Amino acid sequence: MWKLKNKFNLFGTNRHNIVFCFFVFLFLCISFRIFYLQIIKGNMYKIISEKQRFYNIYEYAPRGLIYSSDNCILVNNKFKYILLYDSSSKSKNNLSQINVKLSKIFNRKVELFEDKKKRYGKSTRFIDNLTLKDVFKIQENNINLYDKINIIKKPYRVYCFDDMTSHLTGYTSEVTFDEIKKNSSYKIGDYIGRGGIEQNYDKYIRGKNGYFQFETNAKGEQLKQTTYVLPKIGANVYSTINSKLQKVSYEALKNSNTGRGAVVVLETKSGAILALLSLPSFDANKLGKIEFYKNFINKRSPFFNRTLQGCYPPGSIFKIITFSAIVDILNIDILDKKKCDGNFKLGNRNYVCWDKHGHGELNIVDAMSKSCNIFFYKYALEVGIKNLLEYSKNFYIGLKTGIDLPNEKKGFLPIIESANTGGKHWFKGDTLSFAIGQNSLCVTPLQMACMMSIVANKGIYYTPYIVEQIKDYNNNILYKHEQKINGMTKLSDKTWNLLHSSLIKVIETGTGWRCNIRDVKISGKTGTAQNYHGNDHSWFVSYAPSDNPEISIAVIVENAGSGGLSAVQIAKKIYNVYFNNIKIEKY
Amino acid sequence: MIFNFNKKYNIFGIDVYILCIIFILMIFSLLGIYSAGNSSGNSLKYIYIQFIAFFIGFICIFVFSKINYKYYEHSYKLIYILSLIILISVLIFGSTKRGTKGWFDFGFISFQPVEIAKILFILSFSSFIDLNERKIKKIYFFIFSLIMFFVHLILIMMQPDFSSTLSYFPVVLILFFIIGVKSFYILCSIVFFIFLISVPFFKIIINSVLILETFQEKIITVFTNVIFFLKTGYKIFYFITILLFLIIYCLMFLKKNKIKVKWFYIFCLFCSMLIGCIGSIFIEKYLKDYQRKRLIVFINPNIDSKGAGYNIIQSKITIGSGKLLGKGFMNGSQTQFGFLPEQHTDFIFSSICEEFGWVISQLIIILYFVLIYRAFVIAKKSHDRYGYLVAIGIATMFCFYVIMNIGMAIGIMPVTGVPLLLLSYGGSSVFSSLCAIGILCSIDINNRYY
Repeated sequence: MWKLKNKFNLFGTNRHNIVFCFFVFLFLCISFRIFYLQIIKGNMYKIISEKQRFYNIYEYAPRGLIYSSDNCILVNNKFKYILLYDSSSKSKNNLSQINVKLSKIFNRKVELFEDKKKRYGKSTRFIDNLTLKDVFKIQENNINLYDKINIIKKPYRVYCFDDMTSHLTGYTSEVTFDEIKKNSSYKIGDYIGRGGIEQNYDKYIRGKNGYFQFETNAKGEQLKQTTYVLPKIGANVYSTINSKLQKVSYEALKNSNTGRGAVVVLETKSGAILALLSLPSFDANKLGKIEFYKNFINKRSPFFNRTLQGCYPPGSIFKIITFSAIVDILNIDILDKKKCDGNFKLGNRNYVCWDKHGHGELNIVDAMSKSCNIFFYKYALEVGIKNLLEYSKNFYIGLKTGIDLPNEKKGFLPIIESANTGGKHWFKGDTLSFAIGQNSLCVTPLQMACMMSIVANKGIYYTPYIVEQIKDYNNNILYKHEQKINGMTKLSDKTWNLLHSSLIKVIETGTGWRCNIRDVKISGKTGTAQNYHGNDHSWFVSYAPSDNPEISIAVIVENAGSGGLSAVQIAKKIYNVYFNNIKIEKY
Repeated sequence: MIFNFNKKYNIFGIDVYILCIIFILMIFSLLGIYSAGNSSGNSLKYIYIQFIAFFIGFICIFVFSKINYKYYEHSYKLIYILSLIILISVLIFGSTKRGTKGWFDFGFISFQPVEIAKILFILSFSSFIDLNERKIKKIYFFIFSLIMFFVHLILIMMQPDFSSTLSYFPVVLILFFIIGVKSFYILCSIVFFIFLISVPFFKIIINSVLILETFQEKIITVFTNVIFFLKTGYKIFYFITILLFLIIYCLMFLKKNKIKVKWFYIFCLFCSMLIGCIGSIFIEKYLKDYQRKRLIVFINPNIDSKGAGYNIIQSKITIGSGKLLGKGFMNGSQTQFGFLPEQHTDFIFSSICEEFGWVISQLIIILYFVLIYRAFVIAKKSHDRYGYLVAIGIATMFCFYVIMNIGMAIGIMPVTGVPLLLLSYGGSSVFSSLCAIGILCSIDINNRYY
């Protein structure tokens, strides 16, 4: 028996054992690695292998329809057919042969080329807008083509009211890469809602795409069709919009002197939005055409939703809040009077009323109806800026209304703390301009409509909403709006009564006299908001009927001058339609 | 010992464990090849050839086990010359397949003589170092035995067949280590090989970086590559093992010399580094484009996921998707739909893993391990050192085949064309492996009785 040369005894082992241990180590490494791959990561690799084995040709699900409250279809679907070419299939037909055949079928020259983008799985898109007739033609004429060509049905959106409802319905476009990263349920080529109801309720509306699933080999050849999954139609949205009100407000605003502005019509007792209009607007049907993209560079900014995002100084309509503060705090009676002589001196500066001659001796109701600035200046100084801000907060100025539409702005309410301590000083002159709704204050038309419904409801503030319910194709209710009280504005009964009576007087004899209609009492307030962008904005906020309010309206016409002129007439047209047509139909 | 040697477990004197293992592996090989060949429609042809190879191989086991291995020892010069003749003749008469002039084509069957040359080399090389054991400390012996090795290396490189040369390195190193060559020499040769391989390796990385334009991009790519390399945790095992071995060798080296480092050793070390660097220039020139790419994708297969990295990625998916019990025979989607490349030869292990699952893949690894363990046991039972060396050499070769191939399939080794022992389709590799097992059995039989 011979012995190994054990010159170096390492940890009591000889070289034989070292080599053996080394081999054991290598085998253990491999064994653990296989354990890691097959047991720990097995599920992941299984999914990957399934993914590369199957490939789907998607059949797009039609999105849900959007209805108005009077059962008009606001957004509809139509179908187009797309011809797909499977470049990897085994068939002998090549591209030029297919071109010739298709040209014969259509009686015109068809030139197809391979689209490198490959939006539709491994197939490439050829002809986008095939009609049903064309599809039948292909099917009748040539069956040989069929192993290379797939025709899929693709729905597209039709906006029935063109640019009338575009801001509230929004539009759809293909999903971007970033959105796919954020939400993995979207795939390339899917459509996603942008703006309005389409965006906010996208998860209900979009449905689920169906697909033809094929088994493929490594070369990408389709071997056989394994499954077909039907597309799931998106759920229908039942909105609170009244198409007639929307239409009349559209026509009225469009025919006003500048044609730019916003209209919000609210149902005071629930917060339902009956009309929501922002002009100028865009036509979502023209998506994909040059006209649509010209909107992006249009200086009138048609994509800007003025009802939710437009921040305007409120002007005189803010006097409603100043009024309530004055009456509530100073406990003023109808007998208390102040004199307006057209001028008001504070320090070195001279503040004027809009009527240079002055209004003479006024009580608070007259001051409201004539919209006298001096009267409110005088009392605002007595009340003080802190209380004024407190009351604006009571009316939820500077807060989002919480409407179920995207991208709402909250306006701006100056912050008293920052005004008092450091930074900008708050002067008494600022208080004066604040009291008549100027200064840095700004509000959205929707907020003003809400403010009017607060006044109409004597303080109860319902959250405005636009979608009543969502039902799928089996009529299962997926979503139903629950009426929600957003807040409560607490004022004394005396204040409410005085406010109501003075708002009625604004329409009867005051600045809003143009809004008088037969048989219906309307309360409202006009406003003329000075701004840096040109002529004054024309405001009118109102509700009707005065004794039992049903709807409240906020109208702004940009740069249209005095509120009593253009904005009031728009509101009048809306009231006319509401009380003469819609209400009669209801009962 | 678990597998204690017992006289009862013999068939014709051949160790029954080894026979069982070969038999089970044969079954899996035939099943795997049948399944893998299905997608190209050649499964019956493949199975037929593989079965014939196994059949001839089994005959060889019995024949070689009857020949006493001691005859080889004294005719080692003859054996060595025979191996050279085979290698030279294939360069002259061989036919070319896939750019490698390494095949004898007999029309109905073609044969790769490198596989036989490897075994002949093990026989002659171990005989040489056994007979010259007394000169073992002399450096000229060391260099002479290296020349013996290099002649083979160069001849095979001329075919060129890079992957076949790889299996020589561990065999030579381990045999040196076992016979008791100074650890320092082995250290030198390891350093030499590391430099030989690592210089082109790093040059490739740097080249791939240099293509980029801005300096910042370059820096970022270097860092991301290095970090990716470190992050994929299993690759750290490599470094740890290599580092540990190096440190242990250094420690032993210093301990033995009582921390006196002779200038001679340092000189030798630097010489080996220098020669390694010089040699690496030739290797770098010799490397083909696809080999370069393979080295790049070894670091990060996603760099070229549709090209050179495709094999690794698909192989990993294939193995992983098998999970615990597999997808079932002939049901593996990766194999049947052709996603896995080279499925009946190099990547047959992945295919088997997919269709039979983790249990069978572990069973196969255990079978291989037992086979190598048996070889070690046979080596230890051997009465003379020649038998010991040959058995260890064969065990090392087998181990290397298994580690390289499975390591490649699971992505911890670069892609090389090393076939998997007894499982891959390929008559010559099966035949030569079984011949080697026959020689092992001969060592076993002849040392059984005292």
